[in-house]
Amino acid sequence: MLDDRLDDQLRDAAKDYNDPPETPRDLMWERIVAERAEKTDRSSVLPIRPLRHLRPLWWAAGIAAVLALGIGLGRLSINRTPLAAPAPIATGTTPRVGNAAYQVATAEHLSQSEAFLTLFRASVRQGGNEQLASATARQLLATNRLLLDSPAANDGKTRLLLQDLELVLAEIAQLTPQPRSRDLDLITEGLERGGVMSRLRTAVPSGPSTTQGAL
Amino acid sequence: MDDQELIGRVLAGDPNAERALYDAHVDRVFRLVYRMAGDLDRAQDYTQETFIRAFARLREFRGEAALSTWLGSIAISIALNGLRKVRRLRDREVALDAVPPMGRMTPEAEPDLKVRLAQAIDGLPDGYRAVFVMHDVEGYTHEEIATSLGVHPGTSKAQLFRARARLRDALADFAKE
Repeated sequence: MLDDRLDDQLRDAAKDYNDPPETPRDLMWERIVAERAEKTDRSSVLPIRPLRHLRPLWWAAGIAAVLALGIGLGRLSINRTPLAAPAPIATGTTPRVGNAAYQVATAEHLSQSEAFLTLFRASVRQGGNEQLASATARQLLATNRLLLDSPAANDGKTRLLLQDLELVLAEIAQLTPQPRSRDLDLITEGLERGGVMSRLRTAVPSGPSTTQGAL
Repeated sequence: MDDQELIGRVLAGDPNAERALYDAHVDRVFRLVYRMAGDLDRAQDYTQETFIRAFARLREFRGEAALSTWLGSIAISIALNGLRKVRRLRDREVALDAVPPMGRMTPEAEPDLKVRLAQAIDGLPDGYRAVFVMHDVEGYTHEEIATSLGVHPGTSKAQLFRARARLRDALADFAKE
């Protein structure tokens, strides 16, 4: 057992651990402004149509959400059978086994996230209980962070999607047992405003499993 | 001006409010990521990325936690992800060059407690190190840490307890001096 003197010494010494210099405020601010301007320029090349134009079609969106929920749950639970021929992964070259593994893992994760978020959104609309959502979001968040840290995130589009997904999952993970409906609405609005759901669906391969056999 | 008012002005497109929000929180964010990274360039990158992502997502800030806590959760997530990448790259380089691992100096080469402690903190698992730095070095509460890391406050306390125990073990010979 260590004596109290060492505890005090440790506490004092810890204050000097990686002692930060003065914050380079102006330098960082200039870079932030430049980076945000660049991102705005990039996004203006492919403008996303505001979803408010689709408001009259909410009932159709509801049906689509239910269908997507079924598809998502099916993807989560289906006993997958190998395809006759492995579906190619659009890289332009034959992927190495390591890269293919990351692609498979990414596709699986995005597929599960899509199913989860669809279920979450449908549940919010029906006034369901979100207690289980928080636990599932934590699990998906852990996988998401691993993928962000892997070669799967080398692709810029995938990285941006994983980063946006991370924030959404983190928000759901932090929901209290009795979340305010306004909080839930903000999360679901955020999903739609950022185009996360549509980007997820674009990123998730269609069919039973296009990643099956990639290895 | 409080955070809510500032956020409202930022969302209304006021560039001065953006800068004011940044000025109000940048020190705390920078301090945290610098403590984690121990490197000026990386700390700047992580701080910039934190604010870029925060501004992009500000509309989704629910106000349940303080804005500083929300920013802290983005910052620590970016820092941990970034540091994992750096470590992996460094490990690969070390393996290629067959250089002996760093951070294992002989007792004669260890000048004082601070150096030894820094090495011991560097050697903690990411989760323990984040909790230790946030609580014991930067003074975050367990509630703030829990919100930032997406864990329960009890988990934060347990990780801090284990982190301190590891540091005590690593520096036990100082107790004998």
